Amino acid sequence: MVEDLRKIGWSGSRIRLLSPNHYCSHFALRLWLKGIAVAVLMVLACGSTNAQTEDDYYRIISVSVSQATADSRAKNWKPAPEGLALEISGMDVLDDHRLAVAIRKGEVWILDGVYQDPPSGVTFHRFASALHEPLGLLNHNDSLYTVQRSELTQLKDTDGDQVADQYLTVAKGWGVTGHYHEYAYGPKQDRDGNLWLTLNIGLGLKGEELNRTIHEPVLNYRQGLWRGWGMKVTPDGDLIPVCAGMRSPSGIGFNKAGDMFYTDQQGNWVATNTLHHMREGVFFHHAEALASMNQPGSPIRGIRRVPDGLPFPDAIREFAQMKPPAVWLPYRKIGQSATDILLDSSGGKFGPFEGQFFIGEFTQAGMNRVFLESVDGEYQGACFPFRSGFASAVLRMVQGTDGSVFAGLSNRGWSSLGTASYGLQRLVWTGKTPFEIQEMRSRPDGFELLFTKPVDPSTAADLRSWSMNSYTYLYHADYGSDEIQKQDLKIRSAKLSDDGLRVHLQMDGLRELYVHELRATGVRSHDGEPLLHPDAYYTLNRIRRP
Amino acid sequence: MNLSKLVRCDLQTTAIVMMLFLRLGAAQVVVADSGSTEVSSRAGEPGVVPPFVAGFDRFARHGELSAEASGELLLTELSCTACHHSGLPEMQPKPGPSLKAAGGRLQTAWLKKFLESPSGTKPGTTMPDLLNSLPEAERSSVADALVAFVMSLNEPFPEVKASGLTPVPMEFWNRGDSSAGKVLYHQIGCVACHEPDPDHEAVRVPASPVDQLLDQLNPEEIAELGLASEARQINSVPLPNLWEKYNRQSLTFFLLNPEHVRPAGRMPNFGLAPVDAANIATWLLTSRNSGSEAERPSHDSADPSPSPALLQASLVNRGRQLFSELRCVSCHTLPDMPPAKSAVPLDRLRQTASTGCLAETPAGVPFYGLDELQKSSLRSAIVQIQGPGSDQAAVLENRPAGLETVPDAAESRLLKMNCLACHERNKRGGIARFRKSWFETVGHVDIGDEGRLPPGLTGVGARLTIPWLRDVFRGRGTLRSYMTVRMPQFPENIVKDLPELLRQSDSTSTDPVAESKVFASQSMPSLVAAGRALMDTGCVQCHSFRGETLPGTVGIDLEGVASRIHPQWFHDFLKDPGAVKARTRMPTFFPAGRSQNKEILGGDMELQIAAMWAYLKELKTQPLPEKIVHARSQNYELTPGDRPIILRTFMRQAGTHAVAVGFSQKVHFAFDAEQICVAQAWRGRFLDAEGTWFVRSAPPADPLGEQLIDLPAGVPIADLPNESHVWPQNSREAGYRFQGYRLDKAGVPSFLYRFAEYEVNDRIVPTEDHGLQRTITVTRRISHAPTDQGKRENPKPVEHAIESNRPVWFRAHIAKVLKMVEGTPAEVPAVISGDNLRIAVAFSMADSENPTSASGRHTIKDGRIRKSGDLFEWLILLAMPETADDSVVIEVNYKW
Repeated sequence: MVEDLRKIGWSGSRIRLLSPNHYCSHFALRLWLKGIAVAVLMVLACGSTNAQTEDDYYRIISVSVSQATADSRAKNWKPAPEGLALEISGMDVLDDHRLAVAIRKGEVWILDGVYQDPPSGVTFHRFASALHEPLGLLNHNDSLYTVQRSELTQLKDTDGDQVADQYLTVAKGWGVTGHYHEYAYGPKQDRDGNLWLTLNIGLGLKGEELNRTIHEPVLNYRQGLWRGWGMKVTPDGDLIPVCAGMRSPSGIGFNKAGDMFYTDQQGNWVATNTLHHMREGVFFHHAEALASMNQPGSPIRGIRRVPDGLPFPDAIREFAQMKPPAVWLPYRKIGQSATDILLDSSGGKFGPFEGQFFIGEFTQAGMNRVFLESVDGEYQGACFPFRSGFASAVLRMVQGTDGSVFAGLSNRGWSSLGTASYGLQRLVWTGKTPFEIQEMRSRPDGFELLFTKPVDPSTAADLRSWSMNSYTYLYHADYGSDEIQKQDLKIRSAKLSDDGLRVHLQMDGLRELYVHELRATGVRSHDGEPLLHPDAYYTLNRIRRP
Repeated sequence: MNLSKLVRCDLQTTAIVMMLFLRLGAAQVVVADSGSTEVSSRAGEPGVVPPFVAGFDRFARHGELSAEASGELLLTELSCTACHHSGLPEMQPKPGPSLKAAGGRLQTAWLKKFLESPSGTKPGTTMPDLLNSLPEAERSSVADALVAFVMSLNEPFPEVKASGLTPVPMEFWNRGDSSAGKVLYHQIGCVACHEPDPDHEAVRVPASPVDQLLDQLNPEEIAELGLASEARQINSVPLPNLWEKYNRQSLTFFLLNPEHVRPAGRMPNFGLAPVDAANIATWLLTSRNSGSEAERPSHDSADPSPSPALLQASLVNRGRQLFSELRCVSCHTLPDMPPAKSAVPLDRLRQTASTGCLAETPAGVPFYGLDELQKSSLRSAIVQIQGPGSDQAAVLENRPAGLETVPDAAESRLLKMNCLACHERNKRGGIARFRKSWFETVGHVDIGDEGRLPPGLTGVGARLTIPWLRDVFRGRGTLRSYMTVRMPQFPENIVKDLPELLRQSDSTSTDPVAESKVFASQSMPSLVAAGRALMDTGCVQCHSFRGETLPGTVGIDLEGVASRIHPQWFHDFLKDPGAVKARTRMPTFFPAGRSQNKEILGGDMELQIAAMWAYLKELKTQPLPEKIVHARSQNYELTPGDRPIILRTFMRQAGTHAVAVGFSQKVHFAFDAEQICVAQAWRGRFLDAEGTWFVRSAPPADPLGEQLIDLPAGVPIADLPNESHVWPQNSREAGYRFQGYRLDKAGVPSFLYRFAEYEVNDRIVPTEDHGLQRTITVTRRISHAPTDQGKRENPKPVEHAIESNRPVWFRAHIAKVLKMVEGTPAEVPAVISGDNLRIAVAFSMADSENPTSASGRHTIKDGRIRKSGDLFEWLILLAMPETADDSVVIEVNYKW
């Protein structure tokens, strides 16, 4: 039979599933005699294949991708000679066939036919132009809203010709010194109807730029007004500073409860990429944002000293206003440059991760996944690798009406993996459930893991299947940080629940405010599959009390 | 004799060495007794392939190198001089691979096999067989000890630094994509030295002209025309069964930094991205030379660390001792191991010895499997080096000069490093026949062989400056980004003197001819401008300038050419390109020494060449050639047509909230949405959008046109507590809120803003006489806001309410010099400022049904020029609308 399979081009690795030990092999054998097609179906039904890749579970469809003629960092960067420079910087769903996208050169386009597979008949229609580097797009109030470098703008077509004729300023007033790094992102809407936006910090301001700054004399920081802050705009159009300490907050998103989060990117004061819960009066990490702390409307005041050069847990203890990230995204392990935040609210149409966050990844052209829980009223949780292999940097994400996820790509200015410079791709769940750690929760004595499929009891109980260590970072003004104070944790027991879906790991050596890294390479599913991604990184700000 | 010297030092050591000595002695006897040419312990065994040295194989075997030069090449490339020391600097041996991290890099079984039969395991290897003279039975145990020692040497792989510019996925070496690796392998130049995959589909590129000619000739004709070298296929540097030797991680890290493992630099560094290195490694390990991956050991999770049994201390120690005694350490130096005692120095080797490495049946010495040509070449080289009197200085001087088959110092280096695999120099080398099809132009543009094959090096020392050559060897000379092949980087210590050697080889004088001598008239001030104009004659058709080109043009960028190229060569090349560079596509612009362009500099060739040099030398700061400027503007210059064009951007005058509006009438303005004012107006060309659209540094957009008028910042309308009160400096504090703009059917924007309890609509359009007409309509606020943001029950209170009866003023202009224009109608007063800007203002009440059309002009009650600091302000008292929907219209006419 093996020979027969070989003849039809099956690889040796797939044949393994028909080993005598396998519970379904006899069925498969019989079915094989009846025909190849049935056997293939059986393989799918068994859900067992050793050739598992991310592709088998989540398929990438290229709606439109292009390669520029120059390197992503070239001084004279030019888009591809043909077609639209679809450097997607903002995106929202209009309906079950159309998508609105903002592109970095300052236009908004309506793309029709984006759900086609293959996408052969997508049409493009320009809705708005003359925007200054818009970095977000929201379909709201029968209009599109975008944050440009200097304002939040409502784009509206009032005469029905499908082209915006009103470019109304909803809010402005933050500092714009003219420095390139002062990107402004948003908006996203919260449960109360406020529109949120985030403002990059300026880097090394000089010359004319300094004339447009404010100076905070105690800490001696100089930045444009509200630079490094998260802001909200009320339905009345008031611009309200909410929280501070952001470096490059290119992703904003809300969870099921309507709480607002943002992602930050590694750099000065920022040890690695992070996910934070935005709320009033909280400071995150980039100290220069405190240049605005004593400005009218600021909910943060009177900080007289910023610790520089302490391990992060010590800095948190010294610096009352600073709150730890809900999730650290360890560098390289969970990407190199975090971007957008997407909440899976598809009700299962995007696979087993309903209610979780997906974080866009620029440099490694991928998406990562975040599970959050609330412990003592504060969010914390774990991140997991999810999908690599996009054609370029994933800058924006939005979930389509069918549950699939659109990825807006653009790598200009930095570098990314992938073969393209910009474009639009769509990630579709194939319907097959990957064997993954679905959730990771804090327990007083360790962690509880929920898996997407039943776990093989023997590998689950075997302590060699698991390893954990923990570490933190240095809080300092320098660029990024190594993982420091690394320690292994001793796992004492691994108990599998009766339904086979939960494993309770008990261990010694949990440390609050440290990242707890789990590698579960030895674990197998009931069907013998290894985990598609055996790594998880839990930010243990607080250990759950009994 | 040599042999006794070789082993004398080892006599009193271990039993193994005793046995080794005895075995060597026996072999020696065999040689002495029989003298047979056939008897050799390994000769005749299958798999003994002579060591492959690329330069020797390609040139010496075909009589294109003298026997002496061929032998010299072997002396270093086979590392002969690692044992047979020589004081001659050019005789430095090629060092062997560094073994200090071998344990994590190599696979145990392969190493054992390789030590037992280097040539059998890797046919063509330059690693000699050191166990050759041992009895068959002992070879295995000696190899085991050596393997144990070598595999005990371990160091972690270096960390690959990730950054925003360098994606480094976790365990990237396990994520390689074989098909991407295959493409890269065939694209970036690997196949200049290594074997291409015959199944790999190259993009069909037109055959080289030389190849086309060769296809039509028979072998006799080829020989007659001296094209034998061009017609020859070459053998490849062997890469057999890499999957037996490496795992994915070790091969990936080797490709990332070959010098780290092979300090000889014969395998150079291609500057691969981590992921690309993994892709190539994956292809080399899994798919190359057919054979499916399933048949090979998986390299995904191969545990590189050798088994504990292997690393038994006694075995490791024995191996360490052998490593020194067998002189492995002479080539594979290790930091904590003293060098081996040397063998007979090169200049004292007996030229006619019947024993030793060159013996017909070598025994008791490292066994290289040399063939007859290699042996005779080595003999010739040794004879030449020892020369009459064996005086080394004399040897250098006694070299026959001018013989093509005798390379000079520069050429020897190129031979050793196999530069000639890619680069042709003095009719020797270059990409070999039937390999050229792998060398492509990015995007498959046909720009001839110059556009896809590595450049020739004939006369390069007279062409390129030493600093530029240094940059090139350091991998910083990427000039031909349109080629898929990359110039790799070589170890600094190997190439640091090569620029100077090339200069000596190609130029008779020590210093290049000075610029002032080449271009006698270079000081003429008009030369630069003339040079720029000359670029448009032809250069722009093929070259790029500061990264800008005509559409579809691909060629070397001329920025920095004056620091790359010697002035004399530039001059000669421009004068007659073909005479300096054979088969170049560069056309001559001076046929018979005459310029085809008589308009510029009187058609004087010398002046014109000097002018082009002068311009290119300044290219960094000079404007681009006119045709390039024009081509660029096609992409980025905004030229308003039927509808106005708007660009929001940074501008120097209009600030960081600038909204520029351009009209087909070629009158344009920029509105400052932060200060709420018209900041600038100009005529002619509008703006270039490249910086706003695509440049990361977000540079300000500068007006392209002329007759610029800068208007000082400041809000248009304010209520002042008294007549001398200073005009508000800040729009926010003055109670202003910018509200955006609305486009009318023609696409003309009306700017919207609030001031106190008023809504303002500010519309600016060109006038027939190329000025601007501004219509400011002030309406008392009504309950609904212009934004649709939410439905409001109660409008928000205004931030800044005007106290009743406080006068409200319109500031029509502010300037250093300002005076009223006489003779204007009373209801349309005008001022003129120092920059000749004339501003006229009219004032009317609007029809509430049609708010922008004036229902009749009113006489201005109070208009006055007042001094404010250094400036004069023209203020006009406004009668503000008192009820909702009531409007006041201010018309302002700008003329300049």
